[in-house]
Amino acid sequence: MKFADFISRRAIRAELVAEDKEGVIREMIQALLDAGKIEASEFESIVKAILKREELGSTGIGRGVAVPHTKHPSVDRLMGTVAISREGVDFDSLDGEKVQLLFLLISPPDRPGDHLRALENISRQLRDDTFCKFLKKAKSAEEIEQLLDEADNNQFVA
Amino acid sequence: MMAVEPQGTALFLLITGTLLAFSVLFSRQIDRLGVPIVLLFLVLGMLGGSEGIGGIAFDDYRAAVRIGTIYLVLILFDGGLNTPWLAVRRVMLPAGILATFGVALTAGLLALFVRALGLGWTESLLLGAVVSSTDAAAVLAVLRGGRLHLQPRVGNTLEVESCANDPMAMILTVLMIEVAKSPDALRWTMALGIPLQLAVGAAVGVLCGYLGSRILRRVRPPTVGLYPALTSAIAFLSFGVATLLEGSGLLSVYVTALVMGNSTLPYRSGLARIHESLAWLSQIALFLMLGLLVFPSRLLPVAGMGLAAALFLAFVARPLAVVLCLLPLRLPPREVGYISWIGLRGAVPIILGAFPVLAQVPGAERVFNMVFFIVVFSTLLPGATIRLVTRWLRLAVPERPRPSAILEVNSAHPLNAEIASFLIEPAAAVCGAAMSEIQFPAEAAVALIVRGKELVAARGHTVLAAGDHVYVFFRPVDRQYIELLFGRPEAG
Repeated sequence: MKFADFISRRAIRAELVAEDKEGVIREMIQALLDAGKIEASEFESIVKAILKREELGSTGIGRGVAVPHTKHPSVDRLMGTVAISREGVDFDSLDGEKVQLLFLLISPPDRPGDHLRALENISRQLRDDTFCKFLKKAKSAEEIEQLLDEADNNQFVA
Repeated sequence: MMAVEPQGTALFLLITGTLLAFSVLFSRQIDRLGVPIVLLFLVLGMLGGSEGIGGIAFDDYRAAVRIGTIYLVLILFDGGLNTPWLAVRRVMLPAGILATFGVALTAGLLALFVRALGLGWTESLLLGAVVSSTDAAAVLAVLRGGRLHLQPRVGNTLEVESCANDPMAMILTVLMIEVAKSPDALRWTMALGIPLQLAVGAAVGVLCGYLGSRILRRVRPPTVGLYPALTSAIAFLSFGVATLLEGSGLLSVYVTALVMGNSTLPYRSGLARIHESLAWLSQIALFLMLGLLVFPSRLLPVAGMGLAAALFLAFVARPLAVVLCLLPLRLPPREVGYISWIGLRGAVPIILGAFPVLAQVPGAERVFNMVFFIVVFSTLLPGATIRLVTRWLRLAVPERPRPSAILEVNSAHPLNAEIASFLIEPAAAVCGAAMSEIQFPAEAAVALIVRGKELVAARGHTVLAAGDHVYVFFRPVDRQYIELLFGRPEAG
């Protein structure tokens, strides 16, 4: 699975303003809403579902990266977005570090396979230090988009 | 009632055994009442003492200090052994400040207060120093027994503080005794000795911990049961070496255990359990000893001042010291409030209180008797209110699920993978997925699924359902990815 298959380009945010965990999650879901990917009426319900998953343990996987995700019946296909917080937010990550780079995923409940493939793709690609570092330093949504495309074309990981 | 031996000992063991069994069997119920179990043993000790029905005459402070220190070493070793680096790193700053400046500040404030009540300077300073640290065993018992689930930052701060502040309290007590014995010795340069003692303690601790874990990985004792004997030996050595080098022995023990607990150890879970048990028994033994050491008839004359000191410590000295120490860190007020309330004191003051008596400092026995009130009060009050306050300040976090069965690999050789169990919740990414859909790293797999009372084999078409307990083995580098898919592992 490639980033292009699930990352909504118009929802990418290079400058998150929120300063806490729930705030950045809301901001990213708002970005998906603004991109027309989700219904306004489902907004709160999706926020709640994402936070519910965080209760099971933080999705901050270390090295400044978090992958908040959920399954939600209001979407009919896997979708996601990427965002960067310059200051970093406290995400209760496993390594205790603040999170700068976030991938947020929403998938339909009946398609766990896609969801899992996307999580695997994100984790695998981010293991590459260069890719991870470049993404965190990206200045604009276009730059992030370009980096994701390069990753899709196997320019970072074999 | 003086019984001849072995009947006397038999009676003592009978009562102790009954109470031990009682406290284990009913620990949940007793805990809900908010009365710490250790207080039962304090009462038992008093009943057993020379003024109680037991008639055991025990006023050997030297033996009390020696035995007590052994217990304390075991308690701190357990504290360090089960603390992950991450927890320490996260709260290094607040816990570090509380464990040093906080202790000194608490001691100073309490000393000023009892001095104002009419106690002499020597006694006031001694009392302040003796009761200045929070108690590792008491805090760990409350926070780890699976009974209370606190936000990590608050919980870790309290835990690390309680383990790291005993050294400071001991250093202060010894200093105060020196000052009491020769008042001319009091100089500002003495304060410089404190960081030096802590530094030596920490250095010896790191060294012992490093060597200790290497030895543990190398040796092959004839039976597995000897491993805990070896770890206890390392703990004692660590205390001995550091103290003889004029460093803080207690800090050394804690650091040794931290280093060992965070390295690869053979039979790790077994070791952790045995040391937990040793720490628990140590704490009980300490309270039993305190009970034996105090004479109710000598307590009465200091009851008023003892209680006043206990109240001041709980409501003024501890909160003020905590607020002042944590002010620069800008922690949320409810967290600061919580930390200042949970100033559980316990076994340490009992040992430290015996130090000046041994050194024959005038008035030391009076101080020791006052310590009794402070320990009882500050064990009871936060202990009884901790649940309420946790809920009130909204500092509880959802409880980690308990595994339905424990599957672990115990090996004398360090292994390159670990096993963790996960309760599958609907919100987890893997819920509803077939095994074949889960992208496992090369060296990871599901070893077993426990569904209700059934053990289910993990085949490609097996679908994970909510409520399943899944046992996964994986390489340490893959832990974060596995937790991303499955959620937080179940409590061990």
